[in-house]
Amino acid sequence: MPDFLHVLPPAPVLFGQLLIGLINGSFYAMLSLGLAVIFGLLNIVNFAHGAQYMLGALCAYVLLTAFGIGYWPALVIAPVVVAASGIALERILLRHLYQVNHLYGMLLTFGVALVVEGLARQQFSASGNSYATPATLTSAWNLGFMFLPVYRAWVIGGSLAICLLTWFMIERTRLGAQLRAATENPLLTRAFGINVPRLVTVTYGFGVGLAALAGVMAAPVYQVNPQMGSDIIIVVFAVVVIGGMGSIMGAIVSGFGLGIAEGLTKVFYPQASTTVVFIIMAVVLLVRPNGLFGNMAAAQQGHATGGEALVKARTPVARRALLLAALVAGLLAPFAVYPLFLMKVLCFALFASAFNLLLGYGGLLSFGHAAYFGGASYVTAYCVKLLGFDPVLGIVAGVLGAGALGTVCGYLAIRRQGIYFSMITLALAQMVYFLAVQAPFTNNDEGIQGVPRGTLFGLVNLNDPLAMYYFVFACFAIGSLVVYRAINSPFGNVLRSIRENEARATSLGYFTERYKLLAFVLSTMIAGLAGSLDALVFQLASLTNVHWTMSGHAVLMTILGGVGTISGPLVGAFIVAGMENYLAHLGSWVTVIHGGIFIVCVMVFRRGIVGETAQLVLAWSKASRPPVDVGRFRRRFQ
Amino acid sequence: MSPYILEADALRKDFGGFSAVAGVNLRIQRGTIHALIGPNGAGKSTVFNLLTKFLQPTGGTITYNGQDITRLRPAAVARLGIVRSFQISAVFSHMTVRDNLRVALQRRLGTSFHFWRDSAGLDVLDGRAEQLIAAVGLQDAIDVIAAELSYGRRRALEIATTLALDPELLLLDEPMAGLGREDIGTISDLIRQVGERYTVLMVEHNLSVVSALSNRITVMARGQVLAEGSYAEVSANPDVRSAYMGAAHA
Repeated sequence: MPDFLHVLPPAPVLFGQLLIGLINGSFYAMLSLGLAVIFGLLNIVNFAHGAQYMLGALCAYVLLTAFGIGYWPALVIAPVVVAASGIALERILLRHLYQVNHLYGMLLTFGVALVVEGLARQQFSASGNSYATPATLTSAWNLGFMFLPVYRAWVIGGSLAICLLTWFMIERTRLGAQLRAATENPLLTRAFGINVPRLVTVTYGFGVGLAALAGVMAAPVYQVNPQMGSDIIIVVFAVVVIGGMGSIMGAIVSGFGLGIAEGLTKVFYPQASTTVVFIIMAVVLLVRPNGLFGNMAAAQQGHATGGEALVKARTPVARRALLLAALVAGLLAPFAVYPLFLMKVLCFALFASAFNLLLGYGGLLSFGHAAYFGGASYVTAYCVKLLGFDPVLGIVAGVLGAGALGTVCGYLAIRRQGIYFSMITLALAQMVYFLAVQAPFTNNDEGIQGVPRGTLFGLVNLNDPLAMYYFVFACFAIGSLVVYRAINSPFGNVLRSIRENEARATSLGYFTERYKLLAFVLSTMIAGLAGSLDALVFQLASLTNVHWTMSGHAVLMTILGGVGTISGPLVGAFIVAGMENYLAHLGSWVTVIHGGIFIVCVMVFRRGIVGETAQLVLAWSKASRPPVDVGRFRRRFQ
Repeated sequence: MSPYILEADALRKDFGGFSAVAGVNLRIQRGTIHALIGPNGAGKSTVFNLLTKFLQPTGGTITYNGQDITRLRPAAVARLGIVRSFQISAVFSHMTVRDNLRVALQRRLGTSFHFWRDSAGLDVLDGRAEQLIAAVGLQDAIDVIAAELSYGRRRALEIATTLALDPELLLLDEPMAGLGREDIGTISDLIRQVGERYTVLMVEHNLSVVSALSNRITVMARGQVLAEGSYAEVSANPDVRSAYMGAAHA
């Protein structure tokens, strides 16, 4: 036997992992197919796709345990039920968002996902509920080199058949032709007498039903649990970035392909099996920024996003007075409110400001800011606790670490625009999360505990809550000042112009990607500052800080407070931190509330608290003054 | 020095199996207003995007002032002095007229990456900005948000920001698209004035504007050059007449 064969694992292991890879790939393919179909017609990234997949599995589980209805009927009933809920969602909420920026659809469905997952967690235990394999498929075939459980063969064969059937329906049937026409030009298609709104509803229902079907098929393979959706959806986003959403076949091929790649990695280098999809995504972005099956048309410009509701205080005097008031309030606050809570608010506010810098002024929606927040908190905790850094140096290390990570991730993410940018940032952050789970120095679930706060410049003992508060307040002020200055700088001016119209900024001679990258790095460093402070305040760096829910917090605080407003993030941070502190006993209901806030903000309250208030002030001042200074007010959205 | 500021040689662009531009030779003489016309789908806009590098050509070369720019990036081309406009008027909608001009002017200050500076430092640009704003007749709207301007005035603002770069060659993509009758007159005058100082290449459908403004016309059809010459020469060409199906007399 030749020597090199020794490095090969035994055949059963290899084929066993390949099989698992194919199973995962089946679900990736079905989910990314649904995402692609929905995106094609609705131009919305259905963030709730994972939740709907989970609902499918849960529905099957409930049908079995509560009603004694078995697998085969569930295979039909569950997708129909979940699809019906999807249709209701489209009719009631989503359809109002087709005219506004596509990112709102993503935010809305993110909110829906939170609500669904929160409710599921409240209702069912977070630990898995196992679902028995249907009796008809419990046996296994002996293929000679391995045993193939019949159920697994069914999953692979069934999902492949469903994918191909979908492809056939879209590419070869009359309904599919209508669908493709409506994707291309909805107005013209409508003029031909085709009911496009109904087609849209049906398509969304179909995509959702496909997700639910995948969920039912997954129920006997994985444990049925409320997190199964969010676990898989981020990987599916990476799959979609790799394959491109423009092509149905692309979604199918890359889904199966990446599942296999994952399986093979588990055999040869198991440590990387959770991250391999993200690594492949990074490589694809470097080599073929539009994705393997993407074409130029599919990679069109993302819309200019976000925007400001910034109402500038009228005069420098008024502005200074406001600033002074904020300063005094900040200095006196710890005598009225529990300092630890205030510090949490400040950390969150700084984190949200960092995110807001990117979304509100650069039009870039990052769904992965937890990576920089949490990454910096690990670096600071490690440096301070294990290397004996003094607190300031520890923070500097955290900020630089976040900046370095931000440079790498930003370089990859800015290669794509709009919703793709969001999905890439999310996927890269998930990779950081998995690295944090695996790296030895992060102590996995325990995190780095007992981080000493130390003494500031060898003089001030930061274990004193008041001293720590003022230190955090000073850092917050510095961070906010950097954000404020960046927004109102020559750089900020160019950044704004890129958000408004990137092609025009290019034609004026700006290499726009460099500005976006700088904005991204700045934002990640500020997020890092927030994370470093958080580690010192709570004397802990844990997985919570790098988890995607933390990224969701940044988005939530900013949207709630007001995108593109200076004070919005602070307002949002107050509310979100307050909810976390005072509603903690409600358990998963907090997640549901967060989701609800997303939905309400996106549907009726897009300017956020600060933005809507400013709008009222503006309306009032317009009514009571001659409209001379209209030009001083910057408007959002047309 | 060559009399031609821009030369495209055997330029082609394929989309899949379809050649949108199939071997176009184009020479733009310095100091002229050159119009690119042709029926819908002739490939005019693709040529425009190729010349400004918003699309990468499949084949052929582009030479600007003797320099091969075929592989440059769009922003680099803009920095050499080729500045384009867009069919849908490209202004920064939620910024004031003044800030629109500032963005165009500030690149030369070399401070556009300075995130630590106050943007008040850009006040030095105001003199030049106001001059340009006045040149296109927008002095009364200097602090108005661009989105609140009429379509024609947005067009004028776009031309002002283009001029702010002090370009050598302006590429105007359908400058009259979507304009009303009065605005067409204003913008025509503006282009004529601009043409006295700079070289202009424009894609335009409005043939009366083309005949009034341009010194030289290239007619395209099906991705190729059909004819080239003065308005009189081109409009007498039977191929052109048939391509336009008799509409060339407009």
